[in-house]
Amino acid sequence: MGEEEKAEEKPEEKEKFTLHFPNENNLAIIAVIAGVIVSILPVLPAFVKGIGAILVILWGADSVRKTARYGLGTGVPSIGVLAMGYGIVGGVTGIVIGSVPALGGGGIVEPGVLVGVAAVGVVGYISGILANNEKFIGMKIPGLERGMAELGMAGALAVIIESSMIAGTWNAAVVIPEIIENGLIALIFILAAFGMLQPYNSCLGADERRGRTLLVSVEIGGLNCIILGVLASLIQGMAQGVPLIALGAITWVLFYSAYVRACLNEAHSVVGTGLIKTMR
Amino acid sequence: MDPIILVLILVSAIIGGILASLGVHLLPVGGAPAAMATATGVATGCVMLMTGSAVTGLFTASAVASFWEFEHANIALVALSGGVGAMLMIGWTMLIANLLYVFGAGIVPVSGRVAVDPITKESQTEYKTPRTDGHGMPNVSYISGMIGGFVGGFGGALIYVTLENFAHFSPATAGIVAIGIFIANAILAAYNIGGTIEGFHDPKFKERIAVGLFAAFVVSLLCGILVVVAVEIFPSLGLGGAL
Repeated sequence: MGEEEKAEEKPEEKEKFTLHFPNENNLAIIAVIAGVIVSILPVLPAFVKGIGAILVILWGADSVRKTARYGLGTGVPSIGVLAMGYGIVGGVTGIVIGSVPALGGGGIVEPGVLVGVAAVGVVGYISGILANNEKFIGMKIPGLERGMAELGMAGALAVIIESSMIAGTWNAAVVIPEIIENGLIALIFILAAFGMLQPYNSCLGADERRGRTLLVSVEIGGLNCIILGVLASLIQGMAQGVPLIALGAITWVLFYSAYVRACLNEAHSVVGTGLIKTMR
Repeated sequence: MDPIILVLILVSAIIGGILASLGVHLLPVGGAPAAMATATGVATGCVMLMTGSAVTGLFTASAVASFWEFEHANIALVALSGGVGAMLMIGWTMLIANLLYVFGAGIVPVSGRVAVDPITKESQTEYKTPRTDGHGMPNVSYISGMIGGFVGGFGGALIYVTLENFAHFSPATAGIVAIGIFIANAILAAYNIGGTIEGFHDPKFKERIAVGLFAAFVVSLLCGILVVVAVEIFPSLGLGGAL
């Protein structure tokens, strides 16, 4: 009925929502720099760490997109969960190594944590070789080695940054009782994993566009910040938590509406079912 | 820390990882085709099945481990209880899936890869709907899945109990690190299977198991080294208590 009319009047020009994400290499460099700065300076306020966490999750989502595009055989979520599996091992190791006083543990700049991140990057690269090489599993996905290395590093950085957002530092003396013992690490695990796996899992298909997929990742990063902000205000106090919640809420509203706009613009036609009021 | 203990932790991480990989290879995984009852196995991916059963196994293992308060837990008992927990979980999953297939979709559990069930010697081919790859969990797949759940749960619980006993990790830390190593291995095994598998009678199993176990060995060795580094460094921080 109304559907055909709408389909006909469609050829109005589509303005694509253009947030120009940097290309894959530049995004990786930006995310690594931001992630490293935020993780070696635990004195930064929580909302600055929140920006770092959003960028790291964005990088992970881009890597998931890059590797899962060729079809993994077991679904997109598996590679996001793999990232966080490595991330937990690398993050816990990094937290313990970084707390050694000789490596700057307890100081203002604490670079020791990066050892864990780099180590899990190596583990990821080797597992990528195992998965991709024809002598072993033979998945034949171009760039899987780099993708798995990046995912391991992004996962470890996400664990470290999100722990320090909640507890104010990632020092083992604080993180172990405040994050790991009470099980918050499981929440961090699934929050960061969703930021990485969900964008491509929900957007994949013939008309998938990188700019649109990554909007979802930033949006989930915002949701991460809201939830972690609530926890941070319980553990560190309102002064740290409230700006983080505000950052998360603003990011979420901006990017969610941008994503919905992009979807409506790029869809062939949008028809309402009558159950929910449509946006136009 | 005592080097023997470090080696013990490394070895248990490797054995646990290899068992996790072996467990995944034994499960009847149907994936998306099984959701339409056109392939043998449970209608979900390897990772979901194995993580679900292994986490249940870790719960039972940690519950059993909590009976030893002031001394080292008995490794064999805790690891076995993890295996039993995982076995129960995967058993219920397969049973309920079979009930749905039989009474909901109206099909007989039948293997698509072998003509005769290797355990019960029941004939399979004439019950298979043409152009499908089997349905549900026939006896051999069910038994294979139970063995897979047991092996995987045993492996996960073995990593857990070694970390708790000898590295003096707290139960929460030991659990999350065990899950981390377990998941990495389970997912590599899932990539090795590449979608669907019926169990140990599937020709794919013989074809791919060696590569899968080798990949699991390398990955668990590397993850184990990271954990051993953390275990070695932690006491030197002088924080007291458990990691």
